[in-house]
Amino acid sequence: MLVDLPGGWSPLLGRLAWSQIPYANPILAPLFVAVVIGAIIILGLITYYGKWTYLWKEWLTTVDHKKLGVMYIIIGLVMLFRGFIDGLMIRTQQVWAVGPHSSGVFGSLHGYLTPFHFGQVYSAHGLIMILLAATPLLVGFMNIIVPIQVGARDMAYPYLNALGLWITAAAAALIMISLFVGDFAHNGWFEYAPIFELQYSPGVGVDYWMWTLQLVALGTTLGGINILATIIKMRAPGMTWGKLPIFVWTSLAANVIALTSFPALQVALGLVAADRYLGAHFFTAGMGGNLMLYTNLFWIWGHPEVYFVILPAFGMMSEIFPTFSEKPLFGYITMVLASMAIAGVSWLVWLHHFFTMGAGPFVNTAFSVATMLVGIPTGVKVFNWAFTMYRGRLTFNAAMLWAIGALFLLLVGGFTGMMLAIPAINYMVHNSVFVVAHFHSMLLVIVYAIFGSVLYWFPKVFGFKLDEFWAKTMFWLFSAGTVLVFVPMYMLGFMGMTRRLEYVFDTGWQSYLTVMELGIVVYVFSVLAFFILLYVSVRDHAKNRVGADAWGTSRSLEWMTHSPVPFYNFAVLPHINERDELAWRRQHGIDQVRPEHYEDIHMPNNTGVAIILGGLTFVLGFALTWRIWWLCIVSLLAIILLMIIRSFKGDPGYIITGAELQRMEEEAYRREAQVLDSHHSHPVSGGVVGNAMAYQRNDSSK
Amino acid sequence: MSHGATDPTMHPEVQLSTSKGYFLGFAISIALMLLATALVTSHSVPPFGLLMVITVCAGIAVIAQIYFLLHIDISEHNIWNTVALVLFIPLFLITIGLTWWMFSQLYLRTMDMSVMSSVTNPAVHAPATPKLSDMSGMNKNPDSGN
Repeated sequence: MLVDLPGGWSPLLGRLAWSQIPYANPILAPLFVAVVIGAIIILGLITYYGKWTYLWKEWLTTVDHKKLGVMYIIIGLVMLFRGFIDGLMIRTQQVWAVGPHSSGVFGSLHGYLTPFHFGQVYSAHGLIMILLAATPLLVGFMNIIVPIQVGARDMAYPYLNALGLWITAAAAALIMISLFVGDFAHNGWFEYAPIFELQYSPGVGVDYWMWTLQLVALGTTLGGINILATIIKMRAPGMTWGKLPIFVWTSLAANVIALTSFPALQVALGLVAADRYLGAHFFTAGMGGNLMLYTNLFWIWGHPEVYFVILPAFGMMSEIFPTFSEKPLFGYITMVLASMAIAGVSWLVWLHHFFTMGAGPFVNTAFSVATMLVGIPTGVKVFNWAFTMYRGRLTFNAAMLWAIGALFLLLVGGFTGMMLAIPAINYMVHNSVFVVAHFHSMLLVIVYAIFGSVLYWFPKVFGFKLDEFWAKTMFWLFSAGTVLVFVPMYMLGFMGMTRRLEYVFDTGWQSYLTVMELGIVVYVFSVLAFFILLYVSVRDHAKNRVGADAWGTSRSLEWMTHSPVPFYNFAVLPHINERDELAWRRQHGIDQVRPEHYEDIHMPNNTGVAIILGGLTFVLGFALTWRIWWLCIVSLLAIILLMIIRSFKGDPGYIITGAELQRMEEEAYRREAQVLDSHHSHPVSGGVVGNAMAYQRNDSSK
Repeated sequence: MSHGATDPTMHPEVQLSTSKGYFLGFAISIALMLLATALVTSHSVPPFGLLMVITVCAGIAVIAQIYFLLHIDISEHNIWNTVALVLFIPLFLITIGLTWWMFSQLYLRTMDMSVMSSVTNPAVHAPATPKLSDMSGMNKNPDSGN
């Protein structure tokens, strides 16, 4: 062993021992029992209804980008819920542990969480919300929507897509298991040097944090490569760069950032691993180490990552506003340029996360100016959205409300961001809850855009709309919660309350903290409203079925195929004439044109390799965390062997014949005709009406 | 699209990859890394020379990996690899350049510069800290209230 490990270590189990299971913890032990019972019920139900084969064949081994996207979104929503519970715990601890006379339970002097446990809760909250909730939710939407919007039948690399999902799932499983086996990191979601070094954080918490993050980085990089290749290589005939839907543009910008920045994080984490596992001194305080270098490397990735999550959210808003304003997006070109500008500037601002390092006036000024530059393209976007709505025929349904909410939060978050970009102000409020309130405003822009997108694209994926009443109820509850939690947080930040306090010394802050607790309770109700929304919508799904164009005013390509989207997306790839293809076709009267004949198409086969690799990755992460070396070697060798075997086998794919395709298409048209009894009753046959071309005709070239 | 899918291994950029090339790239990288590790652990070269030698090793390793593993050259069918390299250059300059700048400014303010120069000139006893007014960017007039 290269490092002195505190505590025991055995060749068979590494650092794992019974004492690492927190069965005496009054919060975790009942939770563990609940989780086990819940798991038994779910597994029992699947077995009772005989759904294992269905689950394996249709979901676990699928390479269909839509199903993978749905699973990404499910992981994201589950982790969003877990992160929310962490948030609820943080708020409750802070409202409880105020002043020296506050009571304490469960072994804590004040409140109900010990400082060590509280540290784990806020660290997990941050890491989960950014990397295991926001990121999978956005990647899931990009997965579902980008291929359909560019008119492709699947991603460029369907198998790689499945691999990315299952590696992300492995990361989520790793952070979840840290609840019940060992501890999680307690030093904040981005950690600090040198406190994460082995001698100051001797437990496995930092190791859990490190390998979870490493796995997410890997999964997201694979996904990024895939989405970039899909956008560049798989666009439908006629779709030039100028006709690309705006969500695809923002996805492109976001994934360029992901592909270039995630390696910096992986290198930083690799060096942390060298410190903790090999006794190196990259980030130690002495011995030639440089602790600020860690902060530097982390934020070289960390700031581009912020724009990696915000850009797809901007794209979602840019899709929702035009649809419900019945106007094309204002300033398409400037929107594209702004997205690319944000992606570019994202690389020039990272020092603003540590202005107080003391790099001096020249460096701080340069990064301050660079940070303020971000306001220009973002401002362009805000005005473009406003002008899109200006004199439009606005429909204020739930999806539109979420998008407008995102716009307002973007202003709040943006302006406070401008304040924080001034080093003098930054020194005053550094590490205060003002900063926390600022970045929560920004991340809530993403959450609002995501819930708007869930409502907006749900009918496309599942074929029926979500219930408007409960969606709006959820929106208003969520917004009330947002105001109640974050307005007092901004105020407390100005009063000097620092972040991550497990004990609040100033009793004058009690009333603000009480309002925030009230706000988080309102959030709880909005979560309940979301569950009711899902229940009511599924119950009434027969009433809410939709045709291809669920909203009647949609503009882009994904609304041209059936709802739910067939697994092959488009029976015949459409020919793209204009930027808002569906709106253009509607205007030219060819939106109901059907292809004259169907040709054979080529589709990828399902594979079980991806989920097995994901499982092995989880085992590897777990073994590395607990230093079970034999298991590391076994799982790593198994991964490499499986990769090699799969590479030699390849996937020839399979053919759907034209006749089969025609049968499936006619059935889909029949189903749609039942939904839309009146207004879309005159399908036109043939590919060309006047000058407008719906499908590229193979016979015309002969 | 459909059934006439061509064999992807016949693409010219895939044809560039040979197992010999990969093994060679791998072997060169490993050998250079082992050499650098051996030199660092044995302290057989004076510090400044050591810094030079491992920098040269790293440079050769980068070139070997770009050539053998990434197959980056200027031919037509490798245009995407070349574009990727071109995109990498500004990011490299930004990350390394700005990091160097911010840390040099930080060290001016926080570090005993005589210790920092110990890499090139391994002095055991650090001389006195330079005067504050000697540092560039420092406020020369302590009464200005800055």
